[in-house]
Amino acid sequence: MIQKNAPPKRSDEPVWWALFSAGGVCFAVVVPGAILALALLPALGVITADSLSYPRISELLYQSLWGLAGLAFVGSVICLPLFHAAHRIHHGLHDLQLGGGLLSKVLCYGSAAVISLLALYLIS
Amino acid sequence: MVVKKKSAPGPYQPVMARTWWLQHRYFQMYMLREATVLPLLFFIGCLLYGLYCLNLGEVQWQHWLAFMAQPWVVLLNLLAFIASLFHAKTFFELFPRVMPLARPGLMIAGQWLATLLVATGLVLLLGGWL
Repeated sequence: MIQKNAPPKRSDEPVWWALFSAGGVCFAVVVPGAILALALLPALGVITADSLSYPRISELLYQSLWGLAGLAFVGSVICLPLFHAAHRIHHGLHDLQLGGGLLSKVLCYGSAAVISLLALYLIS
Repeated sequence: MVVKKKSAPGPYQPVMARTWWLQHRYFQMYMLREATVLPLLFFIGCLLYGLYCLNLGEVQWQHWLAFMAQPWVVLLNLLAFIASLFHAKTFFELFPRVMPLARPGLMIAGQWLATLLVATGLVLLLGGWL
């Protein structure tokens, strides 16, 4: 029996959906270029080890864009896509009848949060 | 526990197999789309390892560059690249349906252009041409 006067419980789904959505945009717009520039083109020899040298990458990551390049990179290629992945895995587990309950929710979003913090710590 | 009698069956309770999504191509593509995050996680793992190496110094950074050049790593990252493009295709097709701001074809083309511009920028920047 539903109590009519009880205030409806506010869902937390909009938070996860917003992160999923933002991560989906980053996964579609930024990640392909990042894989090309950091993994595929260096392997093909198009991008040389010189241009990916330690001093150059350190400077790009820590100093360019008024020191915000690292945050922009980690945010758009690591943190937001991680929450996108967490959402898909959480709901995918439900589809496979392996989870989808509170446990998989805490594990998926929790590990996305912990790994995001770790990535942010690594560029701080 | 209620024992069902033949004369008075209970409500219909459909049985759903774990492999329900294999029955129809639409759901197969749905599951394939959901699975695009698995190679993405591999690429993110590579990047985290890279950031860790960058923190440790130049020698470790060279190790990371060598790690990224290993054939199995390149192969998995190629898979991640293909997965990201497949995800992009499905994601870009959804946007005009959720928020019809212009002709769907135009919106999809605009989003691919954004991906292309970001990729060009990143390649030029990291390749040392910018």
